[in-house]
Amino acid sequence: MGLARRNLLRDKGRLALSIAGVALATALVLLLSGFVDGLDRQLTSYLDQSPGTLVVSQAGIKNMLVATSVLPQGTAERVRGTDGVASAVPLLSSFVILEFHDAKQAGYLVGFDPLQGGGPRVLSSGRQLARDDEAIIDRTLAQRHDLALGDTFDLMGQRFTIVGLSEGTGSWMTGYVFVRKAEAETLFKAPGMTSFLLVTPTDGLSVDRVRADLAALAGVTVTPKAEVAANDVAIFGRFILPAVRLMTAIAFLVGTLIVGLVLYSATVERQREYGVLKAIGARARTLYGVTLTQAAIITFAGAAVGLALALGAAQLVMVLRPQFQVTFLPLTVAVRLASSALMALLAVLLPARIIASLAPADVFRRS
Amino acid sequence: MFALARNNLFRSRMKALMAIGGVALAMMLVLSLDAILAGLENRIGAFVERAGADVWVAQSGVRNMHMASSAVPRGLVDQVRQVPGVAEATPIRYLTNVVRSGDQDYIATVIGLPVGATMGLPNALVPGGTMPKSGQVVIDGAVGKAGANVGDGVRILGSTFEISGRSEGLASSLSSLAFIPLSDLDRMLGNDRVVSYVLVRAAPGVSAESLSAAIETRVNGVTASTRTQFAGEERRVVRDMSTEIAVIMNLAGLLIGFAVMALSIYTATASRLPEYGVLKAVGASTRRLAGVVVTQAALTVVVGLVLGLIAAYATALIAPHLDPLFDLEITFASVVKVSLVSFAVAALAAIAPIIQIAGLDPAVVFRRRIA
Repeated sequence: MGLARRNLLRDKGRLALSIAGVALATALVLLLSGFVDGLDRQLTSYLDQSPGTLVVSQAGIKNMLVATSVLPQGTAERVRGTDGVASAVPLLSSFVILEFHDAKQAGYLVGFDPLQGGGPRVLSSGRQLARDDEAIIDRTLAQRHDLALGDTFDLMGQRFTIVGLSEGTGSWMTGYVFVRKAEAETLFKAPGMTSFLLVTPTDGLSVDRVRADLAALAGVTVTPKAEVAANDVAIFGRFILPAVRLMTAIAFLVGTLIVGLVLYSATVERQREYGVLKAIGARARTLYGVTLTQAAIITFAGAAVGLALALGAAQLVMVLRPQFQVTFLPLTVAVRLASSALMALLAVLLPARIIASLAPADVFRRS
Repeated sequence: MFALARNNLFRSRMKALMAIGGVALAMMLVLSLDAILAGLENRIGAFVERAGADVWVAQSGVRNMHMASSAVPRGLVDQVRQVPGVAEATPIRYLTNVVRSGDQDYIATVIGLPVGATMGLPNALVPGGTMPKSGQVVIDGAVGKAGANVGDGVRILGSTFEISGRSEGLASSLSSLAFIPLSDLDRMLGNDRVVSYVLVRAAPGVSAESLSAAIETRVNGVTASTRTQFAGEERRVVRDMSTEIAVIMNLAGLLIGFAVMALSIYTATASRLPEYGVLKAVGASTRRLAGVVVTQAALTVVVGLVLGLIAAYATALIAPHLDPLFDLEITFASVVKVSLVSFAVAALAAIAPIIQIAGLDPAVVFRRRIA
C-alpha cells in the first residue's frame, strides 16, 4: 500500500489528471443512466398523479403516450354502468406539434373535463380551466419558451390563452398541454371522441374482478395503470437506450484507457525498482498487488470525484434546463460504480504483463 | 520540431496507443452522437420527400407530420381538387401507434391509403408490388428489419394484418411505417369524416409555391405547404427538440477527450523533462520547446481523429445490423466541428506541460547528473 501510494504521489500532476479523467468518464456514465431513469419518471409522472387504477382503451392498445386510441361510442356509459366502477374519467389525448417563438416542440395534448378530473394535479401558478379557449401548460415547457400566464399560442388553427402552469408534467422531449375535452374534440374534428377512461373501482372490490368485467365490453382493452406506464417507458426506451448504451460503452473504454495509461507509465518508469525488488526475493504476486493498489486508488478516487461531479452537474443541468430530470437510483449508481472497479482490473493487465516478464538479472546487467 | 514531437509521442508505442486510442474514443463519442441525430434528421423527412406530392394540405396551423395531429374534413378534398393548377389529389389518414410483431412492440406511423392512390405509396415494394388489400399491411422500417416477413401477421389497433409487402427507405429510426387501406383505418377509428392530409400534384407548368398559395386562398381551414417546406419542418422537429441534449452530450465527450489528451501530453512531457532541460541548456528557446509540445498534442489529435473517424464510420455500418433502430449518418459539418474543437482542446491540453518547461532550470539537469 505504502509503495503504491508513493509511486502515485511521486508525480502529483499526473495523479490529478488521471483522477480527473476517471472522474469525467464515471460522471458521464452516471449522468447518462441518471438521465434515462429521470426520463422514465417524467414519462410516467402524469399517469402516476392521475386518478384511477385501470385504463380502458381501444382494443389492442396498452400504451398511452405513443398510442392513438379511439373508444367505441357509448363506452363511457357502459363502463360507468359496470358493477364495481366508482368513477370513469374520460380523456381525449394525442401528441401535437406546438410552435412557440418559431421553435417546434412536441406536446402531449390532454383534453379533460374539469368536473370529472384528469387534469394536472398540481399547479405552480394560475388556475384551472374555465373556458374552451384556455390552456394549462407544463411549467418547464413555459419556462423553456419564455411563456407566462396570460400569453397566447396557436394550435391547429385555434388560439389559446395560458391560465395555469402545471408541475410534474413535462420532459425534455415533450410537455403536457391541458385543454377542456370539448375543445380537444373540436381540434381533432371528432365530436364525442374519447381516447381513454381512467377507472377507479369501488372501495373494497377486487381490481382484477372489475378488470375482468370491463374487459368483457366490446372493443376495449383494460390494463392496470402501472402496466400502461411501464409499456410507455419500454417503448421509449427502445429508441433511446441503444444510443445511451453506445455512449456508456465508449465512456467506459475511455476510463479504462486513462487508468491504463497512468499505470503503464508509472510501471515503465519504475521498471528498474520492480526488478530490484524481484531480485531481492519479492514475489510477482506482491508486485501485482502494488499495481492493483495503484489502480484501485486512482479508480476509487476518480469514482468518488465522478459521483460528486455527476451530482453537481445534474443539479446544474436541472436548474438551467428544468425540462431535464436526472434521477440517481441507488441500484443503478452501485452498478455503475462497480463497473469502475472493473475498469481498474482491466487497466492493470498491461502493467502486470511487464512485471511478469521482468527478469531480475536484467537490472544488474543494466547497472 | 516535428521529428522530435513524433519521437516523443511514439517512443513508447504502448503509451502512444493508449493516448491516441483515448482521443479517438472521445472523438468517436461526439461523432456518434452527432451521427445519430443527423441520421434521424435525414430520414425523418424521407416519406414526405418521396411521397410524390408537390403540395401537402393539412389542418389549419399544421405544417408537418411527425408527432403532429391533423384533421381535414373529407368534404374539403373535392374543394382542393377543384383549385386551378391541381392535377391530382390523394387524401391520406395517419396516426402514430404501436405495431406488435411477435412479442415486440414498435412505434409506427400507420398510413391509410385510399383505393387508387397515386401518391404517398410505399417505396420499392419488396416483394409485394401492390397496394395492400383489406386486412393487409406493407411495412417499412424496424418492424421489417427485425425479422417480420411477408405472410406474417402484425397487430395494429387490436386487429391482425397480414404483411403483403415490404417497403424500403421511408421510415426513420424513431418510427416504422405501416401502410394499410384507408377503409380499414376508418373502420378501426370508428369514423370516415376526416383525413389527415391531402397530397397534391401540380399540373405541368404550375409551381408548388403558387399552388399552395392558391389552395390556402380558396379552401378554408387548411394550411398548404410545398414539399420542401413540409420536409424541412419535419426535420426541424428533430433539430429543435435535440439541440440542448446534443450540446450537453457533446460537452461531456469533449471534456473526456480533453482529459485523455492532457494526461497523455503531460505524461510524455514529464518523462522527458531531463531531455528538455538539456535542450534548454544547449540553447533551445522555451518557445521552440513549447512548439514541440504543441506539435505532439496536434499529432495525437490528428491520429486520434483519423482513428475516431474510422471507428465512427465502422459503427455507422455495423450498428444498424445489431439494432434496426440505429441509423447513423456522419456529416461533413460534424467532422469539421469535431476537428476544430479537437485542435482547440489540444492547445488547452498543452498548457500545463508548457508551463512546466518554461519553469525548467537547465542547470538543474546538470546538477542532477553530477549528483
